[in-house]
Amino acid sequence: MSWGWNMLDWKQEIRSRIADRRIDPAREGSMIEELSQHLEDRYRELLSAGDSEPDARERVLGELEGSESFAAALPAGKSRSNRNAMPPATSASGNLFSDLRRDLRFGLRGMIHAPAFSIFAVLTLALGIGASTTVFTVVNTLLLHPLPAHDPSGLVCVYTTDVKNGKQSDNLLPTSYPNLQDLQSRSNVFAGFAGFSPPMVMTMTDATGSERLFGELVSQGYFEALGLAPAKGRFFRPAEIAVAGSAPVAVLSYSAWKTRFNSDPDIVGRTLEINGTPFTVIGVAPQGFLGVSAVFGPDVWLPATMAPQVMSAAMQDLLHERGKPFFQTVARLKPGVSRSQAEASLQTLAAALEREYPDVNNGHTVSVQPVTTALYSGMGGERGMTFASVVLLVIVGLVLLIACSNVANLLLTRSLSRRQEIAVRLAIGASRGRLLRQLLTESLLLGLFGGAVGLGVGYEGCRFLWSFRPPEVARNLADPKLDSTVFLFAFFLSLATGFIFGVLPSLRASKTSLVDSLKEESRIAGMGTRGARSQKVLLVAQMAISLVSLIAASLFLRAIERAYDIDPGFDQKHLAVFLMNPEQTGYDAVRLKAFHLDVRDHVSSLPGVEAVSWASNMPFWSSPSHGVLIEGQRQARKSESLSTVTNTVDVDYFKTMGIPLLQGRAFANSDQEGSLPVAIVNGDLARRYWPDGNALGKNFRLVGDTVARQIVGVVKTSDYTTLGEATQPCIYLPLRQNLGGNFNLYVRTAGDPSHVLEAVQREIKTIAPNVEVSDVRTGTTLINQVLWGARMVLGMLGVFGLLALALASIGLYGILAYSVSGRQHEIGVRMALGASRAAVLRLVVREGMMLVGIGVGIGLAISLLIGRVFSRMLFGLSPADPLSLAGASAVLILVSMLACYLPAMAASRMDPMKALREG
Amino acid sequence: MGSTYMEATNNPDREWKKGGAELLILSLLEQQARHGYDLCKLIEARSAGALRFHVTTLYPLLYRLEERKLVQGRWVEKTNQRRRRYYSLTAEGRKVLARQRHNWQGFVEAMSRVMGVEHA
Repeated sequence: MSWGWNMLDWKQEIRSRIADRRIDPAREGSMIEELSQHLEDRYRELLSAGDSEPDARERVLGELEGSESFAAALPAGKSRSNRNAMPPATSASGNLFSDLRRDLRFGLRGMIHAPAFSIFAVLTLALGIGASTTVFTVVNTLLLHPLPAHDPSGLVCVYTTDVKNGKQSDNLLPTSYPNLQDLQSRSNVFAGFAGFSPPMVMTMTDATGSERLFGELVSQGYFEALGLAPAKGRFFRPAEIAVAGSAPVAVLSYSAWKTRFNSDPDIVGRTLEINGTPFTVIGVAPQGFLGVSAVFGPDVWLPATMAPQVMSAAMQDLLHERGKPFFQTVARLKPGVSRSQAEASLQTLAAALEREYPDVNNGHTVSVQPVTTALYSGMGGERGMTFASVVLLVIVGLVLLIACSNVANLLLTRSLSRRQEIAVRLAIGASRGRLLRQLLTESLLLGLFGGAVGLGVGYEGCRFLWSFRPPEVARNLADPKLDSTVFLFAFFLSLATGFIFGVLPSLRASKTSLVDSLKEESRIAGMGTRGARSQKVLLVAQMAISLVSLIAASLFLRAIERAYDIDPGFDQKHLAVFLMNPEQTGYDAVRLKAFHLDVRDHVSSLPGVEAVSWASNMPFWSSPSHGVLIEGQRQARKSESLSTVTNTVDVDYFKTMGIPLLQGRAFANSDQEGSLPVAIVNGDLARRYWPDGNALGKNFRLVGDTVARQIVGVVKTSDYTTLGEATQPCIYLPLRQNLGGNFNLYVRTAGDPSHVLEAVQREIKTIAPNVEVSDVRTGTTLINQVLWGARMVLGMLGVFGLLALALASIGLYGILAYSVSGRQHEIGVRMALGASRAAVLRLVVREGMMLVGIGVGIGLAISLLIGRVFSRMLFGLSPADPLSLAGASAVLILVSMLACYLPAMAASRMDPMKALREG
Repeated sequence: MGSTYMEATNNPDREWKKGGAELLILSLLEQQARHGYDLCKLIEARSAGALRFHVTTLYPLLYRLEERKLVQGRWVEKTNQRRRRYYSLTAEGRKVLARQRHNWQGFVEAMSRVMGVEHA
């Protein structure tokens, strides 16, 4: 149907007459349309009455005369507040803040009026921002604020190093208490300098029974060096850490106070019995303080001078024995002193100590490290932590990018339906910049809402993540810190997100062609070619990013699976470990020996029990602690006095653990006090010293030990510190030649070990009613515990990968469905010209899948490129693992097929006539 | 006074633009919804050309009525037609119409009586 000469002319006539009424654009657009239709009708009426075109036009325009009063008669002011209306935006008001306020108000209205769009966009963004916030909270807790001390940058750690032993980084040793005291009193580069022990298992006994807790011994000035203030009470006074055994006082950790003592307001002054000695609580450490560790902290700090009261018999001489390196250190540099200056100064002192005590300090000096070395010891160091964090941040960044791309696509689609509105605003003089600002404000607003919800998602994510902590040490692990840093992060991330997903659609929308949009014919043209191209590029990018995240996720999930298949070197199935501490309940050497024997005899006669033994070490809790000196090789290889794991074990230990004997014999009952001191070494140690395989019969000495021991057996190397570790040397000593200390009971069962746990505990209770079994672990829980960190990280990556897939599928479906609906006309033509339904189906699916194919190709290439970076987190799984690559690609392609197929089905079912008419 | 009267009679448009235009539109919408052009044509036809509305007079009035919520405009699309804005009477509009019609009839009667007496 033709409308005579252009409707646009009437519209312009009207517009020019009402322009200065400042009616808001949508209302104005509606008025213009209505009035120009009226003029058009009038014009056609005149034509049909016989007027010539110029005459008719003249008369219609004549009837518009007096339009000043007409314009004045139009309702203006109030109509601006029409809730459906757009902001005037004719020009900037010149006041940035009032413009901003107006834009924000308008953006809010827009969100309210498109609730489905807003909710979808906000939720999509919330997932992306929430995932990022979760990861950032972990990073913030562990890496950015690991130590709630005053000015952590001024803190350093002093380690003893063995200069003759090659690489320094593997060789950071603790310091003995006498050496520490000498360094403390002689050094002049520190404003504070103190030592602390590793967290040790202790037994706390009260009216309700006994409980296991972790305690740390600290030397004088520990809390002061860190610059901490107590949450309650006070810290140790110098006099309390001066004389051995003089002051049984304790400082509780905040979380122990909170969880174990229910935040008891009268905790200060209470008496706790720890390892049989009553201690008075004098204070509570500040919240979040885990000692000098980012991850794991003790429940209680005790004065180092109380060591004789709480330590096992073997460690009684801790305070005097220069050959027992046990204390880590933390020190605060004096202002103006650098770390290297401090190191130089301390090395002079260490050289003096070496001269004064050559037998124990021979070859030792010190190394001053940043405090982060101690914070992340045993966790892959700061570099390992940073690496894991970066990987996680990159993956969540990808998820967020996909979320952005989804919302950008929605906005692109939405901007098409807003072309008229935008055109009207351009027509009445809004500048492109002003329009762009308005559109971006809307995106930022969406971003901020997404961020607010995302913060909630992030908080829940953290709680979920932290719920995976092993419950028995949950209290000792770092708590997520949702502090102002996290809030700022979420805020800026939301703004950045809003900008990223908003800028492309806004640019596109503000480029709307005035004439095209106002011409009604053009309204059906739908997406211009440029718009379609942007969406296609976004789609390909989204596919590629999704594939990368999905491949990462499947690699990591496969890696966890693989981690469980790693052979720890012992048979963890059908194994149970019972932790107890009879020495802490007053057993002396004689009673201990009887206790060990009794328990072994009774438990081994229980039905279902195959073997029983005692050992000093817990699996995965050991680390190299003793230097070894090999007889005969001592001169030649002094520089290689390597550090080894030592484990004191009872007879049947290797049978119980399922560790194969490679050479020689296992320990026998005849290996006891008075007989020849013997030892069994692992394959790794034997290979290092005797590559020819003739370790049997050789003698060695542990550093600081006077006894030479003869090797009587070689056993298979197992994992001592963590699962899948690089092989470490290990020396096993027979229990009966090395009594004293703490031993754990190992039980091998014929079937599921959980069936005998109770029976074993009952037996122990019968033999020694006052010995508390503090913890029981099956082989499976041991593996779960050692893998919990990895499981947490990898589980997170897996979840993020799936999240990426879900978001990408939704986005893909949206884009394809929209593009099909925009092509109704074309599809109608094809079908009218005889294309079969199947042909249309093929056409639509083929076009969609081509984009998916390109995306998958790019994604695979990127994955292969960056896969190498991941490789060290994969427990030996190849980053090019075909199953992960193929599996992830297949899943993505399948989901994409579905996303293509549904809109294609809809397209092929379309009635060609209807499609032509509506298209 | 005489000249004013003459003007008013010579130009009835303006006269009832002041008082009766509103009433006229409301009554035309009483039975069915109509668009603006339709209203113009109806007024012109029923007054046999004596009363004529143009864009400049009709729409400001319609918009005002709409603002006062006496009428409601709505874009309607009909098959094979351009979309048009149709106006219908609101409940409030019906009440006002009834009141104004009553007043108007009273006013006309009063006028007639006065004029009839004078002429008699």
